[in-house]
Amino acid sequence: MTNFFGYLGRAFFAFLQALSSIFYLFRETVVQTVVLLTDRRKRGQARILAQVDEIGTHSLPLVLVVAALLGIALTVLISYQLKEVGGYNYIPGFVAIALFREVGPLITAVIVAGRVGAAFTAKIGTMKVSEEILALETMAINPVRFLVVQRFIGLLVSLPALTILACFTASVGGFLYGSTRLGIRPDTYIRETLDVLQFTDIYSGLAKATVFAVVIVLIGCYRGLVVEGGAEEVGRATMLSVVSCTLAIIVIDTLMTTAFYG
Amino acid sequence: MDNVCIKAEGIGMRFGARSVLDHVDFSAERKKITYIFGTSGGGKSTLLKILIGALAPDRGAVYFNGEPLSGLDDRALEPFRKKMGMLFQQGALLNSLTVSENIALPMREHTTLDDNIIKIMVKMKLELVGLRDFENLLPGQLSGGMKKRVALARALALDPEVVFFDEPTSGLDPIVASVITKLIADLNRVFGLTCIVVTHAVEEAMRIADKIVILYMGRVLAEGTPKEIRESTNPIVQQFITGSPDGPISFHASSKDFREDLLTSL
Repeated sequence: MTNFFGYLGRAFFAFLQALSSIFYLFRETVVQTVVLLTDRRKRGQARILAQVDEIGTHSLPLVLVVAALLGIALTVLISYQLKEVGGYNYIPGFVAIALFREVGPLITAVIVAGRVGAAFTAKIGTMKVSEEILALETMAINPVRFLVVQRFIGLLVSLPALTILACFTASVGGFLYGSTRLGIRPDTYIRETLDVLQFTDIYSGLAKATVFAVVIVLIGCYRGLVVEGGAEEVGRATMLSVVSCTLAIIVIDTLMTTAFYG
Repeated sequence: MDNVCIKAEGIGMRFGARSVLDHVDFSAERKKITYIFGTSGGGKSTLLKILIGALAPDRGAVYFNGEPLSGLDDRALEPFRKKMGMLFQQGALLNSLTVSENIALPMREHTTLDDNIIKIMVKMKLELVGLRDFENLLPGQLSGGMKKRVALARALALDPEVVFFDEPTSGLDPIVASVITKLIADLNRVFGLTCIVVTHAVEEAMRIADKIVILYMGRVLAEGTPKEIRESTNPIVQQFITGSPDGPISFHASSKDFREDLLTSL
């Protein structure tokens, strides 16, 4: 029993330590972002564009396919209930609200965390164990500025954009299902959607995406920067990165949804 | 005294219960080649990390040109680091950048030089290590010896005052090893570069060192010119330079008595 509480205490302490390190990383990232963006010689520009390309453009096909399928599945489920009470006209609105407020931002962030956050950890972790990070430090090159900042900016740009595109694609999926299989007239479907959907729904989705972007980049890079040892440790860190990122995203999503609409 | 480049005073370092460095005092003179010897796992790499300010020692301090280095944060270390180069044991080149990008990196980050000038300087550094034809390859496509030479070119990118070498010849064939040793000697002779080399390759050190420091049990066992070291009467020093398996240094790393250890484990 003492062992159990001892374990719990140590785990909690380790969690607090990680949290304070991540906060320190956040502060350093913001400072170095300012340094890089105000650099007159624009030395970071190519690195930032490469990250936007890697995170945004290359995630797009996966995100859009998943979003379209989820849009259809969500419409199927919602119509299954609303059909019973004859509430066909409510289907487009329900689907739109669910997609823009909750499903779109969440699923995009989870996909990006798995695809991009994991890659951050693997890449930075590998650099750590092969002493590349130490080499950067001895060359007086700040590792946060050199490795984290472009990923931070890249995600801050890409994730909200991906989220919006995912929401629209999912809506199109729902629209196609609703207008072909449920017999809702296309113009009615679109009008109902636009009637219900407010700009605040889109803003709240964007706000979530922005916060998720920060979470993914901080956890992904932090897990990589603290790796010690060899290849096995890099693998473990990558796994932990995806797990803790996904968990953090879902917890924060719940908190934000409750704060906005609870 | 004013000719001292790097000075370590009473360096002590422990990892957990294991004391790696106990009390290390030594100094390296400007424009000289100083070799630091030690057994494998004897804290040589740790000492090197402390000397470049990457690791803060538990006790003691490091001085660079008379200014204290230990305990400074990254920002305060920056001006010192621009005057230092470091050749890592495995090279530690950035694997995602080509050879020339690796060498250009410190110049891009720390100078306001034009890209074309940087290109020319990269070619010059590569010529120095004899690898001008390889500028567009990735580190993964190079052999171990070539990686070390590229890493040396990178360490020299900002024309440092002092370069640290972490086992520059380990794991290389004898020819490449002597090429690198000759490079170190040439750099020192031609450019007046201060070289601090950590190694366990005795022969090369005897050939080119101005000063040898022998590290044993976390302390400096002996220091002096190669001649003085060779003529030392200390049996441990003799075992070091002859590499004899028999002598005061046992290859058993355990501090416990073997018989006692076996009996108590029952």
